[in-house]
Amino acid sequence: MSMERRTILKGLAAAPVALAAPGYLRRAAAQEGTLDVAAVYSLSGTFANVGTLLNNGSQWAAEKYGSVLGKKINYILLDDRGDPGEAVRKVQEVMTQRGVRHIVGCTNSAIALAVQKEVFARGGVYVQMAGADESTGKDCNRSNFRWPVASYSAVNATVRPLIEKFPNAKKWYTITGQYVFGDSLLTNCKAIFAEKGLTHVGNSYHSLSDREYSGYIATALAAQPDVLAICNFGNQTLDVIRQAISFGMKRNTKILAIWSTGLDQYQALGPDNCEGVYFGCNFWHGVDTPGARAVAEVVKAKTGDVPNYLHACGYAVVQVLVEGIKKAGTTDVPAVIKALEGMSYEGPTGLETVRAEDHQVIKDYYLMLGKAKGAMKDKNDFADIVSATKAFLPPDKTGCKMT
Amino acid sequence: MTQLLLFQVLNGLGIGMIYFLLSVGLTLIFGLMRFVNFAHGAFYLVAAYLAYAVTAATGSLWLALLVAPLAVTALAIVVERLLLRHTYAMPHEAQILITFAVALLIQEVVIMVFGPLGQNVPTPAALSGVVFLGPYVYPAYRLFVVVVTAVVAAALWLAVERTKLGAVLRAGSESAEMVGLLGINVSRVFMATFALGGALAALAGVLAAPIRGVEPFMSAEALGIAFVVIVVGGLGTLSGALVGGLLIGIVQSVMSTLWPGGAQLMVYAAMALVILVRPAGLLGRF
Repeated sequence: MSMERRTILKGLAAAPVALAAPGYLRRAAAQEGTLDVAAVYSLSGTFANVGTLLNNGSQWAAEKYGSVLGKKINYILLDDRGDPGEAVRKVQEVMTQRGVRHIVGCTNSAIALAVQKEVFARGGVYVQMAGADESTGKDCNRSNFRWPVASYSAVNATVRPLIEKFPNAKKWYTITGQYVFGDSLLTNCKAIFAEKGLTHVGNSYHSLSDREYSGYIATALAAQPDVLAICNFGNQTLDVIRQAISFGMKRNTKILAIWSTGLDQYQALGPDNCEGVYFGCNFWHGVDTPGARAVAEVVKAKTGDVPNYLHACGYAVVQVLVEGIKKAGTTDVPAVIKALEGMSYEGPTGLETVRAEDHQVIKDYYLMLGKAKGAMKDKNDFADIVSATKAFLPPDKTGCKMT
Repeated sequence: MTQLLLFQVLNGLGIGMIYFLLSVGLTLIFGLMRFVNFAHGAFYLVAAYLAYAVTAATGSLWLALLVAPLAVTALAIVVERLLLRHTYAMPHEAQILITFAVALLIQEVVIMVFGPLGQNVPTPAALSGVVFLGPYVYPAYRLFVVVVTAVVAAALWLAVERTKLGAVLRAGSESAEMVGLLGINVSRVFMATFALGGALAALAGVLAAPIRGVEPFMSAEALGIAFVVIVVGGLGTLSGALVGGLLIGIVQSVMSTLWPGGAQLMVYAAMALVILVRPAGLLGRF
């Protein structure tokens, strides 16, 4: 009996060491030959369609680079199922239990804002694609880097060129999603309307789950606007455009979708709906730059088709991280962050620069115009670029106080 | 403003007819079989995607209007014979679980086959313009859907009130047991009802596709609206689905001028009010 007890006690004493050892070894292996990069995307839930494609873009970029500074990139997918809480838990787990310090990706702003706090608290570096201003604004932190432009840039890069193109378009109507992102688009619009002396003839808020817009469109029609500016995102943008066109709004009004993801939305609308509608986009495959060609090559090899915004965005966040590591010459986080600040690189939209003060990537945002079916050169040639603008708030106006 | 509000009422009637079409299949099944068919949204989804596939291949929405309801009816019959039939002796939770599982399965299959992104179903050229109703503008296609729905409503009313099957349906919704004791094959009647409910959901799906486009999560709207409509109108009654649909449509449309941000909210507020005042629904009876 006492022999058994002693054996058991010895076994119990040995157990924690046995459990800890593999972890230690794993970490040691990680430091020597591989670099763990965690990617936070939703592969289920209502944003699954977005998350899946973003993940593809990031994973293919990681495969293309293969390794950085001699370390093989180990791509770890964290599926948050569309829930910010789940995302934070998974990031926490992978940072504390596996020592991961390099993280990319988000499927929406809520997830990004939650994760960027967590990554900062645990001393990591995070490159993501949130749309909300706050991410590099009042919620900015040293660990956080954002690739796409946010609402200020989207509005200024679309509304201003449209005003220049149509100086007689004085009456603007807005249909706005009643949530933070929609409101920030609207606020930015109103600022420009006031500055340019335009008449904001009305605004209709709608909720996050709305699908029926005929009432709002009727109200808009009654105000007889020159331009209908749509301040929402995703399927809701498509719903408003489709229904506005069905009510004949295109005849007398210019329709502007300020925040569009481009190709995938054009495909969902079809050329007849796209024709004559203005769209604002973070990426367009038709722009020929070395960075865009790199993305196009990777996507063509995997899908046989051109990249859409989601592919490009997923690719870009990994590209920024890896280029930062290469420039720093080490995977050590503070050095990578320092290297990233002010770094320029050939990104999907051309030469892009990471602004040091708020870690926002300075890049073009496009205003595009949908073309007629007969004018399409190929099945993806839905729209032409009207203008490409880098419109950003000066760092001191963004509300970002980097500690 | 009055002119705009008047238009919103008319527009609300139009939306209401579409909502009725979304709901009538669900209420029919509930009336006879006494459970909420969670696969209702999935039948709507499959039909909409079939409409996309058919119009992409042939350019004809009319062909889709023929093919999709038939295909979905077949699907509904398969689901009923293979799965549901074995659960009638069980409590209603079993039917809810099975139809919910079928709904999830169907949604994932749709994503596997068609991909996760939305697609376009073009409006037939003949219906792609607007019509002028007095001072108002209204999409020709929506008017067409309203007319089709009215015809379907009339046909259903005739079928339920004037045919033997309708009599069996009405009797079955009062007491399925009694109908069985009278020598009628209740199992067959259930199958026919489930198939009809599926066919109606499919018709709604094809007609809605040019208005909404197709995307894998569109079933949420169908099920959500249908549920609200039949609760407001009265579970299991056709006229209730019509009244409920029109009421919800008008509330939503009028609110989009009076309180745009709260239009969706007011739909659910109306439902809450109806449940408080008349728990069985406006035209329902327990």
